[in-house]
Amino acid sequence: MATSTYLSNPLVTVNSVDLTDQTSSANLTRVIEALESTSFGKTARVYVGGLENSTLTLTMYNSFAATETYATLAALVGTSTTVTIKPTSAATSATNPVSTLTGCYLETLPIINAALGALDTIDITFTGGVYSVATS
Amino acid sequence: MTYTIASSKVGIIGEPFIVAEGVNVAALLEGGFIVEQSTPKPKKPAKTSTDINEEI
Repeated sequence: MATSTYLSNPLVTVNSVDLTDQTSSANLTRVIEALESTSFGKTARVYVGGLENSTLTLTMYNSFAATETYATLAALVGTSTTVTIKPTSAATSATNPVSTLTGCYLETLPIINAALGALDTIDITFTGGVYSVATS
Repeated sequence: MTYTIASSKVGIIGEPFIVAEGVNVAALLEGGFIVEQSTPKPKKPAKTSTDINEEI
């Protein structure tokens, strides 16, 4: 069986801004809420799909420099935007698909996460929106 | 309204910015990533003098 080594090096854009060089962790999870439809006579719980509620969580270095992390995110809190992520910076293809959350919501933005001797990093989560994936 | 890219984080500086679906343009403007492109006003036609006293 062939094995492969996968080095995580995704391309991340937030509101069309490329923040790859400020991001150290990305976790995109597609979620479709489970609605229980178990009825009398069943011996196990059963579910049907409800609304989609996917999330993208990013760990980013906090930079207040021009056109960096803070400048990108400050005006997005409490609004909807579009985020994209793909496995590598190579051209979009079937083996390097780009995933998009259109209309996802940014609820919170940590402003300062300071610790002595450590870089300022923040975790942000985009919730909801319409998930799509493109291969070209 | 058209926009021009002002930061390499968004694309090639100076190129027109194509607004994708769901993108928050106000946030991009506030962050200095794009700028509004002023639409040139159409030039007024040159004034031509007409002789209003011209005899018919």
